[in-house]
Amino acid sequence: MSADSPRTFPVDEFVREELYPGYRQAFGSQPFVAGPVRPFSLADNERYWLRDSLHFSEGMVPASIATLDDAQTWGAQLGAEIVGVPPTRGSVNRLAGTHVYLGTIDVDTQWQVQARAARFGTYVSPILADFNSYWTMRAGELTAAYEHFDHLDLAAMSPAELWTTLKDAYAFHRRAWFIHFEVMYVLTANYLAFYALAEEIGLSGSQVSSFLAGQQTFYSRTDEELWRLAGRARELGVDAALLHGSPLDMRARIAALAGGAAWLTEFDAFLAVYGQRMEETCRIDTPAWVEDPTPALYSIGAFLAKPAGFDFNAARAATIAERDQLIEEARRSVNGADLARFNAALASNEAANFAWWNEEHNYLIDRRAAIPVRRATLELGARLADAGRVADPTDLFYLFKPELFEVMEADPAVSGGPGRRWADLAAMVPDRRDYFEYWRERGPSLPTMLGTIPDTVPDPIMIEVFGLSGHFLETLRGDGGTGEAGAAAVTEIHGFPAAKGTVEGTARVITTVGDLHLVQPGEILVCGGTTTEWTPAFGIITACVCDTGGSLTHAAIVSREYGIPCVVGTAIATQVVKTGMRIRVDGRAGTVQVLA
Amino acid sequence: MTDAAVIGLADIRGADAGRVGPKMARLGQLAADGWRVPDGYAVTASALDGWLPAAARGELARLFSAPVAGHAELTELASRAQALIEAQPLPSRITDAVADAHAGLESRTGHGAALRVAVRSSAVSEDGHAASFAGQYETYLGVSGVDDVLLHVRLCWASGFSAPALAYRQRFGGASPVRVHDLAVGVLELVDARSAGVAFTLDPITGDRGVCVLEGNWGFGESVVSGHVTPDHWTVDRASGQVLTARQGTKRAWSAYDEAAGRVVLSPLPPDLAGRACLTDEEVRYLCAQAVAIEAASGGVPQDVEWAIARGLPFPDSVYFLQHRPETTWTAAVPDEPAAAPDAGATPPEAEPAFDPVQYALRNVFKVPKK
Repeated sequence: MSADSPRTFPVDEFVREELYPGYRQAFGSQPFVAGPVRPFSLADNERYWLRDSLHFSEGMVPASIATLDDAQTWGAQLGAEIVGVPPTRGSVNRLAGTHVYLGTIDVDTQWQVQARAARFGTYVSPILADFNSYWTMRAGELTAAYEHFDHLDLAAMSPAELWTTLKDAYAFHRRAWFIHFEVMYVLTANYLAFYALAEEIGLSGSQVSSFLAGQQTFYSRTDEELWRLAGRARELGVDAALLHGSPLDMRARIAALAGGAAWLTEFDAFLAVYGQRMEETCRIDTPAWVEDPTPALYSIGAFLAKPAGFDFNAARAATIAERDQLIEEARRSVNGADLARFNAALASNEAANFAWWNEEHNYLIDRRAAIPVRRATLELGARLADAGRVADPTDLFYLFKPELFEVMEADPAVSGGPGRRWADLAAMVPDRRDYFEYWRERGPSLPTMLGTIPDTVPDPIMIEVFGLSGHFLETLRGDGGTGEAGAAAVTEIHGFPAAKGTVEGTARVITTVGDLHLVQPGEILVCGGTTTEWTPAFGIITACVCDTGGSLTHAAIVSREYGIPCVVGTAIATQVVKTGMRIRVDGRAGTVQVLA
Repeated sequence: MTDAAVIGLADIRGADAGRVGPKMARLGQLAADGWRVPDGYAVTASALDGWLPAAARGELARLFSAPVAGHAELTELASRAQALIEAQPLPSRITDAVADAHAGLESRTGHGAALRVAVRSSAVSEDGHAASFAGQYETYLGVSGVDDVLLHVRLCWASGFSAPALAYRQRFGGASPVRVHDLAVGVLELVDARSAGVAFTLDPITGDRGVCVLEGNWGFGESVVSGHVTPDHWTVDRASGQVLTARQGTKRAWSAYDEAAGRVVLSPLPPDLAGRACLTDEEVRYLCAQAVAIEAASGGVPQDVEWAIARGLPFPDSVYFLQHRPETTWTAAVPDEPAAAPDAGATPPEAEPAFDPVQYALRNVFKVPKK
C-alpha cells in the first residue's frame, strides 16, 4: 500500500433506508438465526408457549433481554443449526410483560429434516466418540475467559477501556451460550437414544437417568462445603448469629463474636471458589454470591436448623449402590444382542453423561456467563451516576442494550457524550422500574402455557428438561389451563416418577427462589420447578413435587442424590396444593395425594 | 491360597473370577463339573497388580503426560510403551511360582519340555467398559518353555497398551492411559487340534433358541474366531438333536503350528482338506448336546462355547472345551477375547459397533424417516 492510498472509501453513496424500493428490512438491527425475542403478537396464538419460571422466575429488566436473547433464542438456534438437530431449529422467546415464555421452531419440510439428519450424524459422532476431550476443550475456553474477566481492575480503567470490556463481556456471553446449546443437543441425542433403546428392549426409559447417577458435580461439592461451614459455625459458636436476624448485618454480628473472624475467613475462602454464581440465568440485575452471599448464609442457617447434618458420603454411596444394582438388574433382564446394545449405550452415556453435565455446566455457563456483563455495567453505571447522566448505577439495568450501545458508541469518552440523549434515557428509567415491579408481582399468577397446547412436542429438550410429556400437555388441556375452581376439586395429581420413596408431610408451596428461606426442615417442597439455587433445600425437605420437569430436570437428579421421593411434570401441583396441606408423595408411582 | 501368585486350573472354581478373571474361572468350573478341558494354571490379577517397577511406571506416566493428537502419534506411543513394559523383569515371586507350576504341567501332560501352551489374557472386571476393554488384550498360541511363558505373560500385560487398546481407552475410558490393569493370565496346554471352532446354543443371527449353531475349520480355532475364513456351518435342532442344515465353508486358510516360527500362524489350507467338512455328523451332534449341557450348567443363559477335536485320540475323548461365555457378543463391537494374531503384521478388521447412539437417535428419537 502506498503512503497516499486513501484510508476511507466512503459508503455515503450507498446509504439507504430501504433494501429494495418499498422494502424496509425487518430485523436488521437484531441479529438472530431463526426467530427473534419479541413481545407476543396475535399470530402466537397458533403455537404453544411455556412459561420458563424455571430459569427466570421474577421477570427480566431491559438489559437482561439482550442476555436472554443470547441464551434461549440466539444460542439455542445457532446450536440447533450447527449441530443439525433434525426436528427443531431451537427455541425462541416471547415476553408477557417482563416474563419469559419459551417456544420452539419446528423444521417443517422433509428435505430439511433429511439434510439436517445427515449433517447431525457427521457432527455429533466424533464428539460422542471422545466427549471427554471435547468438553475439556470447551470448558477450557470458558475458564480462560473467566480468568481474563475476573482479574480485570475495572475501577482503574479509562472510559474507553471500560467500554471495550463491556463489549467483550457481551461477546463472550453470546459465545458461552452457543457452547451451551451445542453440547446440550449433542448430549441430549446420546441420552435419548439410550432412553428409547431402554424402552425398546423392555426396560423403563425413566430408569436411564438412574443408571447415570452418582457423579460428583461442582454443585454437590458446593453443598458439601455449605454443610461443612454449618458444622464449623457450631464449633466456633457463631451458629446463633446465622440462625436469626437479617442477613444484611449478619456479617457484622458474626465478626463481633469470639470465633467470628475465624469463621468469616473460612467463609470468604469458600466464596472465592464457589461464589462466582448468580441466582438466576441471564439476569444481570441479580448479584453473584461474591457480591452478596445472602443465599449462602441462608443455606447455612437452614442446615443449622437440622442438627443431625447430612451425610453426603453415605448418600452418594447409596446412590451409586442403587445405580449399580439397577444396572445389574437391567443386564439380567435382557440378553443376546439387546444386552450388547444396552452395554454399548450405557458406555456411551457414561462417557458423555447428560445427567452429570446438566448440573455441572451451570457453574461454567448459566449462572456465571453474565457476571462479566454485570460487573462492567455496574462500573459504567457508577461513573455515569457520578457524571450526573443517571441517578443510580443500577439505572443501566433499565436500558436496552441497543439503547446503551447507541449512546455510548456516539461518544465512548462517557463524560462528554450526547447529554440530551442521556437525559431522554434517564427519564424513562423510573417508569421502567415500576413496570418491572408490576410484572414481578403478577409473575406467580401467569399461566403455565399460552397459545395452543399441542398433543406432543418434537423438541427433546422440551420433553426431558422442561417436562412437556404427553401427560403434562393433556393435564393442561384437561383442566382448562389453569382454572382455580377446577384445581380445588383435585385430590390426586399424577406426574413423572422421578425419585422413589413414599413420604407424607406438610406442603410448602414456593413460587420463586427468593422465598426459599421459608422452607422448614421436614416439609415437602411444592414448586414450579427447581434449579441449582434450590439445591440446598434438598438437604432439609422430605420430598419434592414440581409442576414442570422430566427425567433430566434438576429436581429429579438432585432428589435421587439426596434420597428423597420426587414427582415432576405434574402441570398443576402449585395450583392444587396450598402451603400447610398434608400431602402424600409416592415417587415410584408418580402420584401426589392431598390428604387434608 | 488366597494370596497365591499362581493357581492350578484344578483348584479354580467359578467363584474365583475376582482373582483369575471370569474366563479362567469358568474354565476351572467346567473342568470341576466333569468336562474335558486343557490342563493349565493361572497367574492371578493380584500377583500382577503393580508388578511393574516404580521407575518403569514413572516412565509410562511421562510418556502419557501430554495429550495424544493423531493416530500416528498414538501408534508411536504404543510401541514405546509396549517395548518399555516387555523389557521389565517380573518379580521373583511370580517367576518362581510360574516355574513350579509350569514344571508340574510339563510333567502331568507327559510332553516335558516339548509342551506347547496357550498364554491367554483374562481380564478381571467384566462391567461395561472393562468387558469390552477385555477384548483389547492379546492371546499367544504355541509358547514353549518357562522363559517363553514369562515373556508372554509380560506381552499380555503390555497388550493393554497397543494402539487399538489406547484408542479404545481414549474413546471410552476418559481415564489416564496409565491405570492399573485388572488382568490375570491363563497358561493352558495347547490342544493339538485336528478341527476347532465355536458352538452357539442359539442362532446368533436370528436369536432362535430352538437350535444350536456350530462353526468350525480344520486346525486351531483361531481361523474361525478371527473371521479369517468362512467356516463350515451346522444348525442342529436342540430338542431332537437332528442336524437341520450343513453348509461347507470356503476354507482357504487354517491356523496351524509353524515349527520354524514356533507359534500358530494362518496359512493356506492343504487342498485335500479344503473340500471336506471338518466334523463328522456324530461330532456335530455331540458338540451340540455338550454345549446345551454347558448352557444348563450356566444358569440357562445362552452360551458361546469354543471347542477343539484333538488329533490321535478316540472320539469322544478327543473333544476338548477351551472356554465358554454368555452369548452376548454376536453383534457386539468387541469380542470378549481377541483371536491370536495369525500374522504379526495383520490388524483385525474394524467391527461394527453394537449400538450407534447417533443413528439410533435419528431413527427412534427424532423419527427421521428412512430415505
